[in-house]
Amino acid sequence: MGSNGAGKTTLFRTVAGVLKPCRGTIEFQGKQIHRLSPDRIVSLGLSLCPEGRQLFPQLSVYKNLLLGAYTRRKEMSRVRKTMEWVYELFPVLKERRNQPAGTLSGGEQQMLAIGRALMSEPEMLLLDEPTMGLAPLVVRRIAEVIKEINRAGTTVFLSEQNANIALMITERGYVLENGRIVLEGPSPELLENATVKRAYLGA
Amino acid sequence: MEVFVQQVFNGIMLGSTYAVVAVGLTLVFGILHIPNFAHGHFYMLGAYLTFFLVTSWKIDFWPALVLSAVLLALLGVLVERIVFRPMRDQPHVNAFISAIGTLMFLEAFVMVVWGPQGHRIPNPYPETVNLLGVVTTQQRLLVIAAAVVLIVLLHLFIKKTVMGATIEAVAQNREGAMLVGINVDRVSSVTFAVSAATAAIAASMVAPIFMVSPTMGALLGMKAFIVVILGGLGSVPGAIVGGYILGIVEALGGGYISADYKDVFAFGALILILAIKPTGLFGKEVG
Repeated sequence: MGSNGAGKTTLFRTVAGVLKPCRGTIEFQGKQIHRLSPDRIVSLGLSLCPEGRQLFPQLSVYKNLLLGAYTRRKEMSRVRKTMEWVYELFPVLKERRNQPAGTLSGGEQQMLAIGRALMSEPEMLLLDEPTMGLAPLVVRRIAEVIKEINRAGTTVFLSEQNANIALMITERGYVLENGRIVLEGPSPELLENATVKRAYLGA
Repeated sequence: MEVFVQQVFNGIMLGSTYAVVAVGLTLVFGILHIPNFAHGHFYMLGAYLTFFLVTSWKIDFWPALVLSAVLLALLGVLVERIVFRPMRDQPHVNAFISAIGTLMFLEAFVMVVWGPQGHRIPNPYPETVNLLGVVTTQQRLLVIAAAVVLIVLLHLFIKKTVMGATIEAVAQNREGAMLVGINVDRVSSVTFAVSAATAAIAASMVAPIFMVSPTMGALLGMKAFIVVILGGLGSVPGAIVGGYILGIVEALGGGYISADYKDVFAFGALILILAIKPTGLFGKEVG
């Protein structure tokens, strides 16, 4: 977590390969990935659900999900199973599967973006501000699903301005300021930390 | 009435060519976000290759057409790779200039190899046909049929195949496409190949009817550009409908008023439609 402009999105985009680091390295499962193109990184099992969702607005919900499984296009039976799971997580996507993605509400689009990122069956899911601008009820639903994705065996790396939500559903937290980690620790401890309370929880 | 039917028929034939060429242009626009001004010259070169294969190598019309389409597909891939890809992260004007450089190169190349004068491909199907009072040739009917087949095949390719879906995905959201693991470079290559190959087929189909000349690409490229704007930038249905509208407007204006002014009607229709609907017939609001 971190405030606006702390570097959360830049960090996530760099990990996903959209931006290239000037120096330093990024490793994933012991392999250096910072010189790889985004499509190679996805096939290694690292998937980013980006800020602003970046859906394909004129394609149907179904096609958006199907393209999410692009790196697994040779294993259609598995893709269908993953899609069933995504529909279980977000039943509304199943109801709207033939609708263009651009006609969904903000919350539904966020659900679709998460679902699409899951379709590649990542080892690690990067979620960049998944609750931004959403109604409290939707935020709660998305928080529950993030927990569930994690229980199903996917590592989730979450970026949030909403520190309350972030610390409730995660195990470890890192506070980012001006591109540097200024504080880190188990989430329950950070929730009690005086600095965090003052700066991010509004207490 | 007979004149009217005859002109509408001519318009549909002209429009078939415009529609196919414009679909190729609009697909590439989706990927590059600039119009490929050299597209009309792909068309011209496609006609010349078919002409060359038929007259110099004595190959039959159909295999020559297929070979010409394959060669143009390769050229499309090459042009994307060496002309447009290095310009991707540069200001758009650089890609404009590159496109214009490409078209000048292609036109000069054809001029040097085959000379500035026009050539004619022997018409493989010159017999006249009388269809519901319209007198035409088999070749003209073939142009219309081939366009329909090509458009249907392109539609199936884009809507029903994974490869086609990736073209739409890159056009609608480039970063989103990268993030689901699509190799954007490969999609660009495929799009250029499809676009150049369809232009070559359209050109080869009408080459036995009209003359083949080095300047045929410039005017057609310009008209395809009109069609794409008319239909809405990046819209495939728009390019198809726009192509037929332009063909029919041109034929009717040329037939009833004056053939000398047929291009005036084409450009006039563009101005009129854009005045009423600035985003084009099928254009989406930018937002």
